[in-house]
Amino acid sequence: MTSPARTFAVENKLGKIAREPGGRRPEDAIRAAEGKVEGLRGSSTASLVEKAEQMGALAAKGRAENDSSAFDGIYDISNAIYGLAGAFGLTALAEAAFSLCDLTDHFRTGAPASWPAIDVHVDGIRLLASLGEKAGAAGAESILDGLRRVRNRVLPA
Amino acid sequence: MSQGFGKSERVNLSTAEILLACGDLQGLNILCEMFAGFGVNAPRRCQSLVECKAVVQERAINLMVIDSALSDAEGYEFISWLRRAELDPNSFAPVILLTGHTRPSQVFRGRDAGASFVVAKPAAPAVMMQRIIWLMNDQRKFVSSPGYCGPDRRVKALGPPVGMKGRRHDDLSAEVGIAKTPNLEQNEIDALFNPKAVA
Repeated sequence: MTSPARTFAVENKLGKIAREPGGRRPEDAIRAAEGKVEGLRGSSTASLVEKAEQMGALAAKGRAENDSSAFDGIYDISNAIYGLAGAFGLTALAEAAFSLCDLTDHFRTGAPASWPAIDVHVDGIRLLASLGEKAGAAGAESILDGLRRVRNRVLPA
Repeated sequence: MSQGFGKSERVNLSTAEILLACGDLQGLNILCEMFAGFGVNAPRRCQSLVECKAVVQERAINLMVIDSALSDAEGYEFISWLRRAELDPNSFAPVILLTGHTRPSQVFRGRDAGASFVVAKPAAPAVMMQRIIWLMNDQRKFVSSPGYCGPDRRVKALGPPVGMKGRRHDDLSAEVGIAKTPNLEQNEIDALFNPKAVA
């Protein structure tokens, strides 16, 4: 027989502190936060390009040495790109990065690796990262369409 | 979601101790700027599991926002450790887990690690503020059991699943017992809906 769960009340200190006099109205706080985050758009865009290049180098090395441990690094960078791109509304880049996360996660858990599938994703991400907000007008949808087809061919439904 | 907060009410996080953790420096900068906009002064910034552990062992924290990807471990690992670390009050503090790409095996991992809330990226400031307000009003009890340690995962008080006996000592039976007092008369029921001033 398993031992029973013990339940107990805990003081909500966050609620107590956040209700102290002063502070901001939630909508003002949200507006201020959006402004502050927007101030990082330039450095974040530069960081996305940097990360995409870093990922390209990692993938090239992994392919040359047929080293499946490279998938861990590619996954981590791709996951970081997904988070950053999403924060600034770069939806095409975020989708491409998410797709690469799916692939690398699949390969690192023992499935036979397809380096061409990785390469096409890395190239697509590098292109979308360098285009930044202009990606939509530059045909991001056709890039994504190609990546979706590659992903669907490699990953089991 | 905005329980307990009207238009004129305010959120004061200026004296709150907040821990923000993300393995990616740029991601951490975004979190810090977001919380600066919320009025947070000097949050504790961490990129690694080691740094997170050091901070919670050193001071009382009122809210933690932990990315699932730390530089040396996964955020889940820190939350599981924290909940069982017996660091009062930090082991019981609210924790928001931020997730990026989520593997199928990890979908329930955040919840099972003991996070108060799991927020999927991209986490817009409006979403984060909603979650903070929800946590300010959170009255859930804390559960400690061999398989789980953290806030009660039953957000809605619906009782145990249909056909199952509850595991908690205060879970009520689904069987309705025999009435111990006489039924109310119709005029007594009507009076409940039409209260009248008493002279």
